[in-house]
Amino acid sequence: MSALPVTAPARPRRSPQPDATPRRHLEVAPTRAQRRARPRLLPAVITIGGIGVILLAQLLLSIVLADGAYQISSLQTQKHNAVLQQHALSETLDLYNSPQHLAANAEALGMVASGNAVYLDASTGAVTGTGTAAGGSLLGAGDQVSNVLLDGSMIVTAQAPTTTTTTTKTSAAGSGPTSGSSATSSSGASQASTDTGTGGAGQAPLTPGLLPSPTTH
Amino acid sequence: MPTFRVSRRRLALTIFGVFAVMALFVVRLVDIQLVQAEELTKQASVRQNASVVTYGTRGSIVDTNGVVLADSVDRFDITASPKIALLYIDGFTRKNADGTTTKVSLTDAISQIANITGSDPQALYAALTKDATSDYVNLVKAVKLIVFNKVKALNIPWLSSEPHPTRTYPNGAVAGNLVGFVGTDGPQAGTELKQDSCLAGTNGTSTFEKSADNVRLPGSTVVTKPATDGGTVTLTIDSNLQWFAQQAVANQAQAVGAAWGTAMVVRVGDGHIMADADYPSVDPNDRNSVDRYSLGARSFTTPYEPGSIMKPATVSGLVDAGIVTAATPVDVPGRFTDGLPAGSYIKDAFAHGDMHMTVAGVIMNSSNIGIAELTKLQSEKDRYANLIKFGLGSKSSVGFLGEAAGTVKTPQQVDSITTVTQQFGQGMTATSAQVASLYQTIGNDGKKVPLTLVQSCTASDGTVTYPTTGATTQVVKASTAQSVREMMETVTTQGSLRNLINIPGHRIAAKSGTAQVADGNGYGKDYIVSVAGLIPADKPQYAVIVTLAKPATIKTSAAAAPAYATIMKQVIKTFRIQPSTTAAPFVPVAW
Repeated sequence: MSALPVTAPARPRRSPQPDATPRRHLEVAPTRAQRRARPRLLPAVITIGGIGVILLAQLLLSIVLADGAYQISSLQTQKHNAVLQQHALSETLDLYNSPQHLAANAEALGMVASGNAVYLDASTGAVTGTGTAAGGSLLGAGDQVSNVLLDGSMIVTAQAPTTTTTTTKTSAAGSGPTSGSSATSSSGASQASTDTGTGGAGQAPLTPGLLPSPTTH
Repeated sequence: MPTFRVSRRRLALTIFGVFAVMALFVVRLVDIQLVQAEELTKQASVRQNASVVTYGTRGSIVDTNGVVLADSVDRFDITASPKIALLYIDGFTRKNADGTTTKVSLTDAISQIANITGSDPQALYAALTKDATSDYVNLVKAVKLIVFNKVKALNIPWLSSEPHPTRTYPNGAVAGNLVGFVGTDGPQAGTELKQDSCLAGTNGTSTFEKSADNVRLPGSTVVTKPATDGGTVTLTIDSNLQWFAQQAVANQAQAVGAAWGTAMVVRVGDGHIMADADYPSVDPNDRNSVDRYSLGARSFTTPYEPGSIMKPATVSGLVDAGIVTAATPVDVPGRFTDGLPAGSYIKDAFAHGDMHMTVAGVIMNSSNIGIAELTKLQSEKDRYANLIKFGLGSKSSVGFLGEAAGTVKTPQQVDSITTVTQQFGQGMTATSAQVASLYQTIGNDGKKVPLTLVQSCTASDGTVTYPTTGATTQVVKASTAQSVREMMETVTTQGSLRNLINIPGHRIAAKSGTAQVADGNGYGKDYIVSVAGLIPADKPQYAVIVTLAKPATIKTSAAAAPAYATIMKQVIKTFRIQPSTTAAPFVPVAW
């Protein structure tokens, strides 16, 4: 840019020279090359405008990118939180899935272990195996397999007073599957009163110790 | 043309000036980009690059059905900056969700944290004010996500947090003896330690440029080293059966006052350990729940004199060598003294005069004298080789942490009494696992398949590797194993424990053991009692072995029999073993 002011003052010096001649109104017709060399407005506007547009687009693009970065960041946080949530939930689920929890809940609901398995051959109708009475309480004197992660609050019917009597009765009868039939019938009866099933469902649990097993053949 | 020269000089000056400036820039550029590059990059990265450790999660341990036995869980440490907290000594202004603000004093904030985390507010206050210049104090350790989120919602400006991944055992003591546990310094016991190479994840690092508000600049992440999660170890254990077995063995051990007990269920076809219960058994969530001797699996680590439960091994050797059959008559006197030092004798658990037993009868009556008489028929070397072939005296293929090999005395080491007694399980030692392996072999038609506890390791990329166990060996002929099982069936049908161990509808080959425990001054009053069984006897699928040590109230194998029967019934239910359709063959026990 500094070149312009240097050449500009030179012009007035040159101009007095043509004043000496009478043909002052004559001008040198520019050659084609000179005409072509003359700066043209349109391309300049287009070029500068183009650069402007590109710069603007770049600016907008980086604004959008930066905005996207925040969005990615926030979504990643969301995802991370969701993963943490999922971990926490599956941790709880695994705990609920533990045998100690299932057994305690099953017995709190009045369920007892089954007796011997008996098989029915569907093609011949033959029954194999020797059935026995229901096995009574599995937990007996309590769960021997400790799990400090579980607490009593996870038992579904922990508030029902009948469940505690069941446990003590069974523990008094000792361990083993053959001892719990008297204790389990009481829990079964208490369960039947709370569980008003439809049809004959309410009848069956009354005598779970004597549940019909297909050994009559 | 002086003016032209002037303008040309000016132009030259200008161009020179421009180039001089450019040259300066280039020099500076080279200086910055090349000479000082390293130093500057370092300075910059400290200011705007964040390097984070990405954690590889430790893999989980699951049972054969995919039930999680050990898992890594997220916990969070609540940390604080006392320096900043004391700036807010008069409290801070909390912006509520509805746009209002509340002034919260320091003590209020502390009591709110204490409330949520269930910690002592006094202790928190003391920790915060202990060193006012400190920028870091760990207030509450390892809180769960739900607690952490509540604390975060308090919006306390001087609180921060850090992840504290930890290990949880959702099934508690179920298989706790096998799973082991991880301490603060890494895995310490059981499968956690043994399979650490599969379970351990490797932490990675990633760096990125951050903005002033710590947001990652787009496209700037450079993962220096990716984190890899640990693999999943699948055990052969069935967690439900394991729980049942632990429950049964614990109940019975307490009922008879036993010091410890083990129960194993082995699938005879492939040697998979379906359940391996120990009493007492550690809850890996609470290492202090048992004494330090009960932190592992006694079934692998504690050898004992197994007693009569070894007799089928001896008889197998004799039958396999073609020396005897089930019906071979044996003269069983009231005492055995042949070849023993003067004054020594071997007797049976019950007093009797001269008896006429068959080999099957020796098994059924569990006669020590009968086995002693039979040892005369086979060389010391062959009898020793037979016990070794069954895997006695060497560690099982499981290679459990601290596993014992047990001892069988070689013909060179053995004395005149032990050469006889170790044929019925006294004067030699074995672990519960070795006894289980013996019964697996007899149940699997003489083919000893190495016991397996770890089924597979599934890496985080999904590739599954199976641990190498030893080769399957044919210890005795299939016909030998079948013959021995038929002899053992008489224990269930006619033996003294028949009322305790017989399960109607099922043919079961069983053997009991009542072994005296040596206490330094010879044999004392304590016994280790056991019952082993194979179901179904004609084509065994599962072996069940229950052992109780030093029962106080009942000092015979009748102490172990109820737990054995309970577990056997559960095995029938769990694996849907159908009742036998054929009757047990007639095997004469006397002549």
